[in-house]
Amino acid sequence: MEDTRYLFRRNRTWWVKVSVPKALRDELGYDLRCSLHTESLDEARKARDVAVPEFRRRIREARASLQQTRACKEPAMADDESGFLILRREDFSDVTFLLEVEAPLLARAAEPGQFVIVILHEFGERIPLTIADFDRDKGTVTLVIQAVGKSSCEMQQRCRVGTHLHALVGPMGFPSELHADKVVCVGGGLGVAPIYPQLRAFKESGAYVIGVVGFRNKELIFWQDKFEQYCDELIICTDDGSAGIEGRVTLGLQAALDRHADIDHVIAIGPPIMMKACAETTRPYGVETIVSMNPIMVDGTGMCGGCRVTVGGEIKFACVDGPEFDAHKVDFDELMNRLGRYRGDEKAALDNWKKAAS
Amino acid sequence: MARKTVRTIPQDRATMPTQAPAVRAHNFDEVALGFDLDNALLESERCLLCPNPNCVPACPVNIDIPGFIEKISEKKYREAYDILTESTLLPAICGRVCPQEDQCEGVCPVGESLEPVAIGRLERWIGDMAIKEGWRNIPPIQANSFRIGIVGSGPAGMACAADMAKAGCDVTIYEAFHQAGGVLRYGIPEFRLPNEVLDAELENLKALGVKIECNTLVGRLFTIEQMLDELGFDAVFIGTGAGYPSFMGIDGESLNGVLSANELLTRCNLMGATSFPRYDTPLGLGKRVAVIGSGNTAMDALRVSLRAGAEEVYCLYRRTREESPARVEELEHAEEEGIRFEWLTAPVEILDDGNKNVRALRCQRMELGEPDDSGRRRPIPVAGSEYEFEVDTVVYAIGTNANPIIGQTSKIALNKWGYIEADDNLATSIAGVYAGGDIVTGAATVILAMGTGRKAARSMKTYLGIRDTASVYEETPDSGGDEIFGINPAERSHVRIRVTGTELCQ
Repeated sequence: MEDTRYLFRRNRTWWVKVSVPKALRDELGYDLRCSLHTESLDEARKARDVAVPEFRRRIREARASLQQTRACKEPAMADDESGFLILRREDFSDVTFLLEVEAPLLARAAEPGQFVIVILHEFGERIPLTIADFDRDKGTVTLVIQAVGKSSCEMQQRCRVGTHLHALVGPMGFPSELHADKVVCVGGGLGVAPIYPQLRAFKESGAYVIGVVGFRNKELIFWQDKFEQYCDELIICTDDGSAGIEGRVTLGLQAALDRHADIDHVIAIGPPIMMKACAETTRPYGVETIVSMNPIMVDGTGMCGGCRVTVGGEIKFACVDGPEFDAHKVDFDELMNRLGRYRGDEKAALDNWKKAAS
Repeated sequence: MARKTVRTIPQDRATMPTQAPAVRAHNFDEVALGFDLDNALLESERCLLCPNPNCVPACPVNIDIPGFIEKISEKKYREAYDILTESTLLPAICGRVCPQEDQCEGVCPVGESLEPVAIGRLERWIGDMAIKEGWRNIPPIQANSFRIGIVGSGPAGMACAADMAKAGCDVTIYEAFHQAGGVLRYGIPEFRLPNEVLDAELENLKALGVKIECNTLVGRLFTIEQMLDELGFDAVFIGTGAGYPSFMGIDGESLNGVLSANELLTRCNLMGATSFPRYDTPLGLGKRVAVIGSGNTAMDALRVSLRAGAEEVYCLYRRTREESPARVEELEHAEEEGIRFEWLTAPVEILDDGNKNVRALRCQRMELGEPDDSGRRRPIPVAGSEYEFEVDTVVYAIGTNANPIIGQTSKIALNKWGYIEADDNLATSIAGVYAGGDIVTGAATVILAMGTGRKAARSMKTYLGIRDTASVYEETPDSGGDEIFGINPAERSHVRIRVTGTELCQ
């Protein structure tokens, strides 16, 4: 029998072909093949003996590089000794999820308005997150995360009950000042969860509390019962009108301001564009309005200065001078611009990670 | 043997091999490779072994310099290490980062006619040998029941922790970052101080029984007062440093592309941004980088920028090379690597590219006038000298201020600049709380911070009534201090009695 391993004929010309293992087909295709430019089987065999080892080498390299990307993709999370145990996870939507983390000292010290910094794994970045809830008796803090960038998507994928965060440090920043008789607490997007401990604290301090929370649609609403428990009035806004008021949270805020002339304090947490809109809504009423800043930061302890924001013409560090500032004095345009500083890098990191994960 | 003189010793300094500038400008490996055995022995011969040495009092921790150098020349390296560790915790670190030309080497009599003895390089050589050989000097420790809390794991905290642990105390260091070392970790880059050297020194600390708790933000997680009242610490040392970066307040500072040297260095050294995207933290450095300032931090920022891939890196300083506060060695290394220095130049505005990114700096030429309070000639702007200087990244390395967190969360007394008020013995306004390092002195050097850490440890021992066998405390405590329970603070050590909680209950 003639030796035609790896060989096949197209018209009369001999070709060589090596099939690619399944795992590498995204990278290399179904098989590696090339024409041997000969009609003679003898010549084709000689050419084949050169081509096949070359194809094999390419497959080996692709496998090695895939393993390397895998190694990059899966840097180690922490172990029991040094890490912070995740006790509970709840998914509110395909992007928003909750983690309840064991941290007794942190739960004891945390106050509404403060934030923590989380590191997912050994190669992770320091991610500032506003504390969404804390339970001093259980010794836990709760974080609500939106999977938008590489790190938060990776958290969504890897943070399971029983795993450990590499680092969790805080509470950072000044706690909120809770002096008000009638207060509106506005939360939108990422700010819905962090507004909860504020609203609860205001209620416990004896204030009349109006909650305004915004979601994209009815399906994405979470914690309604928790909010209702501590609100004298709860206004829900949805972008599509499937629940509550149709439109942005500013409409809800506007409605509250129109209904109550004696509102003396507003606090708004959410994306910068939302906080800016809230500031503009309350400005004509002259109501004291507080926003919680979420700039890019590294250490969170006043060391890098990356989180500087301009408030009333002065440079402030959100981590140690804030994170809460007078909304009517904050330069939101500068904040939004500075938040875009790493947009290119962030997108590249996310694409890279998605590619490696698929 | 006849006493050595400047004429009889080897005239030239032993050579220290370094990585070639063109190579090292693109890697983070250490620049100075350290002496080999022959060079170290040759250099040790250059010490005159002065009977009344100038160098010892010039050292912030008073290392017996002729003593350890003599041991090297006798080839008794382990004994040289023993002498070093009597005074310094971190020979491998101090040998690298101390400004020796202003300290021991600056007063070396050999330096009057020749190059002074390379004390720092010899210290480093012994320190590195100790790490390689696994030498450790753990003295027999007799445990007492005192608990000491240290806030900050930088050089001041490490030095204080080591002394208190040697005295038998149960010592815990709290660090806000996820890795210990303070400025030695986040600030000083790998090519000046490799992480493995720092790790080895931290291991030495752990071998003394010191516990290091990372991810702990003292002040916010628990306060200084709570450490004494609730967490059961008998004394606390604060070494939180001066890490709050300064900006100039000129227009354009909030543009993207303007950052502090601290941010640049933290991203690279602590967070691995130079290995982005393997590490998640991005760096976002441009192609033409201007670093403002010319101190050691500026040198680090310049050289890190170059290694992180910037094509052209400029140092802008409003005075001249002579006034530059950086170590001479760092300046020379930076120049060799191709950093361009623009002396007598100060920025007046950062210009926008239309998309809120840095396009250029508007600079001004300066000239030197009369000396100011610091004794350096004051820079004066040259009228009409303004020009545009195209860059896409501006890094501020013009100094730092006190970290505000302890002051925000404690009743401890601060001075008007926000630094912690401490007396000559480094005692603060709260009994049992001591402070040292940059948070007391303002931004200074690693060795000075270590010196204050050790001094605070001596005061703590006096306060706790621990007999200090290691060194006799010479300075008399401030006799004008408040009396507590009718006891003069100077006499406190003689009457303080340790009572544990259970005994109180009984």
